[in-house]
Amino acid sequence: MNCTRRNFLIGGSTTLFLSGFFPKISFASMQKKNLIIISLRGGMDGLTAVPVIGDKRLKKLRKKLILEDVLKLNSDFGLHPKLEIFHQLWKEDKAAFVHATNIPYTGRSHFDGQNLMETGAHIPYKEKTGWLGRGLLASDIVGKGLAISLPMPLLLRGVPQNNNFFPSPDFVETKLIDQIYDEFKGDHNELIKSTLDTIRQRPLSMQIATDSEDRKKLALEAAKQLKDQSGPRVAVFELDGFDTHAAQGGVDGAHADELEEVNEIVKILYENLGKAFDNTLILTLTEFGRTIKQNGGYGTEHGYGSAILMAGGLLKKSQVYTDWPGLKKKELFEGRDLNSTIDSRAVYNSAMSICFNKDPEFLRREVFWGDDLPNLTEELFKI
Amino acid sequence: MSLNFYRRVAFGLSPQDKLPQEPLSWALNQLNSVPDFLWKGSIPTEKELRKKYGEWVYGDREVLRKKFKNDKNAYRQAKDELRIKTGERYFELNEHAIRHYQTKYGAQPVFERFWLFWGNHFAISEKDFLAEFSTGPYQREVIRPNMVKTFEDMVQAVTTSWCMIHHLDNSESVGPNSKRGVESRDTINENHARELLELHTVSPSAGYTQEDVIQLAYIMTGWSHKWSRKTLETGDVWFDQEKHQKGDKIVLGKKYKNDAKRELAKVIHDLATHPICIKFVSTKLCRHFISDEPTEEMINPVIEAWNKSNGNLIEIHKAVITQAFKYNDTSHKFHPPEIWLMQLSRMFDLDIPLSAEKMNYAFKSKPTGRQGQLSWILREIGNSPYRAKQPNGWSDFEVDWVSPELLLRRFWFASVELPILIKSQNRSHGFILRCLKNNFEDHENMASLIHQFRFGTSDKDLGRQYGIICNLPGVLKV
Repeated sequence: MNCTRRNFLIGGSTTLFLSGFFPKISFASMQKKNLIIISLRGGMDGLTAVPVIGDKRLKKLRKKLILEDVLKLNSDFGLHPKLEIFHQLWKEDKAAFVHATNIPYTGRSHFDGQNLMETGAHIPYKEKTGWLGRGLLASDIVGKGLAISLPMPLLLRGVPQNNNFFPSPDFVETKLIDQIYDEFKGDHNELIKSTLDTIRQRPLSMQIATDSEDRKKLALEAAKQLKDQSGPRVAVFELDGFDTHAAQGGVDGAHADELEEVNEIVKILYENLGKAFDNTLILTLTEFGRTIKQNGGYGTEHGYGSAILMAGGLLKKSQVYTDWPGLKKKELFEGRDLNSTIDSRAVYNSAMSICFNKDPEFLRREVFWGDDLPNLTEELFKI
Repeated sequence: MSLNFYRRVAFGLSPQDKLPQEPLSWALNQLNSVPDFLWKGSIPTEKELRKKYGEWVYGDREVLRKKFKNDKNAYRQAKDELRIKTGERYFELNEHAIRHYQTKYGAQPVFERFWLFWGNHFAISEKDFLAEFSTGPYQREVIRPNMVKTFEDMVQAVTTSWCMIHHLDNSESVGPNSKRGVESRDTINENHARELLELHTVSPSAGYTQEDVIQLAYIMTGWSHKWSRKTLETGDVWFDQEKHQKGDKIVLGKKYKNDAKRELAKVIHDLATHPICIKFVSTKLCRHFISDEPTEEMINPVIEAWNKSNGNLIEIHKAVITQAFKYNDTSHKFHPPEIWLMQLSRMFDLDIPLSAEKMNYAFKSKPTGRQGQLSWILREIGNSPYRAKQPNGWSDFEVDWVSPELLLRRFWFASVELPILIKSQNRSHGFILRCLKNNFEDHENMASLIHQFRFGTSDKDLGRQYGIICNLPGVLKV
């Protein structure tokens, strides 16, 4: 922990210089910290997950989508009833929310938006690496990223030897892997070569034959890996289906089903990480929020500001961290969406700083091109 | 020109295929007409399958849920019976068989590759029961016949198809000043309008604004399914004037006069012939056939052919193939898992899909494991074609298909599942050598890698041979 603090005091480039001098053993003897990102594709509705309480305008504009019995967080905000694990953790200072936040993208396209939420950039498709991958690389943490999905998410690209995991139907003989590896030696394809490297190095425990449809087992396996002191330090989950243009629903319905899945993953991680949960941060990531007003199909349209759901023992306290912009017409973005008053990349940058033991200033420059992202470590996390 | 051209633009050569004398004209000649489906089993129409879709949702939502509302177990059992009766678990398997039969045996495999391309460009992603009942017939009846017409014709057909309208919620869209909008205070749903711009035609590089999306959504209001108490959302698509936004609309700076159902065709005409649309789609075509990052030199002749022919897809396809031929030996393309599987199936004459007789279904019990085998394989290698996660379809970039787990799935398929699919008469070492010679310049080198396993004919022995052969650098990519 000390070294994190010193990083802050020393700052930027000196840190980079000094970090080389830290004897490896001092890092190894520290408790491993886990950063878990859950990607919510389609545009998560922050106002459904963490609704503002008693706003008459919201009630009027969302007649068919209003939640009757929200879980209470504080005098201003409630929580969707399907997010009950967050409510339980809230009472132990292990859940918190950032509200009215988003990446600096206002274009309302899923695919441009998802590209930017993963690259952290300003122009879609320009960057080929993810902010998390770059953060790992800048922190000299190689081979410690784990994706719980079939493809390697863009978010994790940019650092070599990430693993991914999705239970497969059967084993593959090690000998075959070695043979294919040999044949690729002379090939120019670096991506496949480095992926084959990862395959050869990965523990046998990751090759388990089981039912890949069962998300519970996936989260369970991820917890097992993360708990291992020498295992991955970063995990990425992928959920889609948040694009509820129709039949979004309130307490039940399409958006509620998706939130229930988030809840399930966090619950399994919490129950199975054991003590490691205290050294863990779980954060959600989405491309945008949704319109205030319900649309023709009792759903909502693509919007702007959303919320970040957070859980884990590295949180400072239970809070809804926000600079609330209000929901009056003139306070909305383009008169229709919840505004974003916090660049969500500041939250992710600060979270990486905590989990990777790096100065946030340093990461901001290395990962986000020096963009103006305030340091939120003291406000949000345990330093 | 190397033999990999037959995999670049098609699925390689089967043991029965003759080596073409003129590879380029062999490929170009396949694009003039729409080949019939070869599948000998049942090929139900889109309308028939939509009727089944209706029976399924009506039966579940309106009958069973009410009847068994207090008995969860009885409900589950009745629902499973309804799945069987309506073919809810069957039709997608049959669609995969029709599709893979065509790519394995078709005499115009190059045409089939374009069929896969367009089906993915105008993708239907996983939503409701579309994959179970509707995406397959949409590919057959909406995408396929339009491949010898113009791009604009295809956009018109896709945009007003039941499948796309349901997929992107356009039935839910109501013009706020329309008769219905005034009565119910309902409003537009932007989903379909946004994807028509972003994915199907001009792409975000056209610089449209949120107001353009809204205005296009206004134009599209009224295009919806006919709803009835018995068929619910599965009625035919029609133009419902009562939902249509009145007044003129402006999209990308052009005014469209208040003209009811005729507005849509006009705006589609302008979008589908927009220079940025032409560039965007030409680039995607070159990306699919030539390289992840096609250069201007690769793309420009396709754009020229597009402009010269006014968007005639036959001419556009020919230009793409001509470019693929030109760059065959100097560019690399890593193929997604389904195309790789189709190539292995054709080159090695694998025993998939199941024969039409065995795919026959009596709607009396669950489909058998064998009937579900191909679909299961597709899912496990990560590329179940009618279940893209999002409306932008499956990625055409190598980086999205290379991960430890996705590569391991290919190793698994080739070494564990594929041997079971080698026909009994093809289990000799001589067979694999012949197939390699048909399809690869460096077949001798490949043969030497499996020489040590030449005497074995068990599944395990074959797994050792095919496991490595199918995952060599020159097989995973062309």
